[in-house]
Amino acid sequence: MKSLHLQLLPWLLALALAIAFPLASSPRAWGADGLVTVQELVERAEEYDGQEVVIEGEAVGDVMIRGEEAWITVNDDPYSRRSLEEGGEFAGLSNCGIGVVLPRKEAEKVKVLGSYKHHGDRVRVRGIFHRADPSHGGDTVIEGRFLEVVEPGYPIKHPFSYGKLAVGLSLALVALFLGSRLRKKKEASVF
Amino acid sequence: MILKPSRADVKLIAWAIGRVILGVGLIMLVPLLVSVACSEWNVVLDFLIGIVACVLFWLVTENTCRTEKDLRWFHGLIVASAGWLTAMVFGAIPHYLSGHFKSFLDACFDLMSGYTTTGLYLLQDLDHCSHGLNMWRHLLTYAGGQGIIVIALTFLFAGTAGAFKIYVSEGKEEKLLPNVINTARAIWMISLSYLVVGSAFLWAALVKEGMPLGRGFLHAMWLFMGAWSTGGFAPQSLNLLYYHSLTVELITLVIFVIGSFNFALHYSVWTGDVKEIYRNVETRSFTFTLMLTTLLLSLGFGKIGVFGSLMEFFRKGFYNLVSGHTTTGNSTIYSVSFYRDFGPLAMWAIILAMAIGASACSTGGGFKGLRMGILYRYFRSELRRLASPERAVVAEKIHHIRDIWLEDAMIKGTLFILLCYVLVYFAGGIMGILFGYEPSVAFFDAVSAGSNTGLSAGLTSPLMPTAMKVYYIFAMWAGRLEFMSVIALLSFFGALVRGRRGR
Repeated sequence: MKSLHLQLLPWLLALALAIAFPLASSPRAWGADGLVTVQELVERAEEYDGQEVVIEGEAVGDVMIRGEEAWITVNDDPYSRRSLEEGGEFAGLSNCGIGVVLPRKEAEKVKVLGSYKHHGDRVRVRGIFHRADPSHGGDTVIEGRFLEVVEPGYPIKHPFSYGKLAVGLSLALVALFLGSRLRKKKEASVF
Repeated sequence: MILKPSRADVKLIAWAIGRVILGVGLIMLVPLLVSVACSEWNVVLDFLIGIVACVLFWLVTENTCRTEKDLRWFHGLIVASAGWLTAMVFGAIPHYLSGHFKSFLDACFDLMSGYTTTGLYLLQDLDHCSHGLNMWRHLLTYAGGQGIIVIALTFLFAGTAGAFKIYVSEGKEEKLLPNVINTARAIWMISLSYLVVGSAFLWAALVKEGMPLGRGFLHAMWLFMGAWSTGGFAPQSLNLLYYHSLTVELITLVIFVIGSFNFALHYSVWTGDVKEIYRNVETRSFTFTLMLTTLLLSLGFGKIGVFGSLMEFFRKGFYNLVSGHTTTGNSTIYSVSFYRDFGPLAMWAIILAMAIGASACSTGGGFKGLRMGILYRYFRSELRRLASPERAVVAEKIHHIRDIWLEDAMIKGTLFILLCYVLVYFAGGIMGILFGYEPSVAFFDAVSAGSNTGLSAGLTSPLMPTAMKVYYIFAMWAGRLEFMSVIALLSFFGALVRGRRGR
């Protein structure tokens, strides 16, 4: 029995090391493929500075093409999954996103951008994170190399709110009544 | 003996506030039209409800409180302070109906922040906001920068002698023209002219940087409104960092520096007295305090070794410093970077710049350059007095449009207002610390709210304690009105409760 324990010991040690070493050597909580959140990048910018990272989120706003490169903004907050305009839940924050500078042809893969009327393409970007990129005026950016559209964007439906219409009309009726009363008052004061 | 305000006093105040609220409703027509143009039909309904609510309030006050009496100083102070609070509640209606706010208090927070040109916000999911709501956010900060009372005076108070009383009560003492209504119109003329020119420059820059024409136009207008009013709002959550453009940063920097100048200075320059720029106590004070805080910032950056090149120093350090000093709040970095990347010295340089703030009778907040100038001359005169023979007469003057001799009453008034600001900053900072925030972060955001700046080190968020939201609303409001109107309003309520009826 004792010899069996001794035989297992090196294997158990090796297994423990295999689990512990990546956790100990890397302070980052990267997921598969080095996936990291924007919040973590911003809050631990010094650690991630110059590292290759992967982020996944919604492309929002604009694709700003400047020569052979282009800028996009990628948000990976809860609203990038389901925005408030789609009935998403309040997460207690504004958006959490980062600017990504990419080769133009990579950025052009993005077809739908997040806005009031659209949920943007869900994209995965691999690139180098810069805490203060000297070639871009010290911006905190990801210098993206590859972009992949994971889920295409779609239009957000805004069903017409008849409840709001009813409230508006009710208030307008009261206003009309008061307005006519004021008019009569003014006419009476003239005579 | 404290006299209880009469029924006629209350009616007169309510009537004037009704007019201010009608003004708020009229401004909502602009975002309503934008929503129609962009086919944002639910947003159209939000603004229709907001407008009708404002009109309704005005009709109620016109029906029940109309009076032939004119406003006295006391009424003016109450109309200004209570008018801003009422305008906050009515202006928050479209905000709340948009569905981007967890509570009505959060919506009121953003309204007060907009009117007071602060720029802090609790709106959630900004990047999915409608064009109509964004138009409203920026327009209200642009209008608030001129003063919502100024708006009411421009359009709705023609001919009343009491108009000057509420104009002054809003924290503006300059009379550009003999008639206060014409002064209000002159302020609008200056602001609208800059709006056209500034937006055109920004539009060209944004299109050059790759934005489509239509969106570029809207963003240009909104960025101008945010910068000129020293409000600091922007249509995307990354604020100025969204654009990654030196050109856009340079243009907005020029706009918010010009916007932070005294309207009287603008008017002097417009009417040909260009030398006033160099002679004015506020431009001199601003130049000196900007140099001092820039020195502190560079020492701070030198210590931590980040943003080492001149370009990085300019775009990440100097830009945010000037934004803080002019109490704008446009930012090219993440909020947490102030705390995590800047280091304590650079962070406190920005806190100091925010606390000092912009010019009097401008769109900005803070102590104001005029008061810093008076304070400096006062200390200088005291030092000279100590060094002079006993019988020597020591007199000091400042130059602000004209030469003004320093008098005891002026110095006392200046010291009183300065003390009020310090108390508001300090109470906010201590409150933040008591709620468990890092001291430098707590003071950063407290000074930002009290000086109507809008930069944040990460404290201000929808998750902040309710008590802090309420305090920040108070700090923004009191700071913008420079305390006198607020003190008058508190006295008014005190007199209503405890006062005796006059005979």
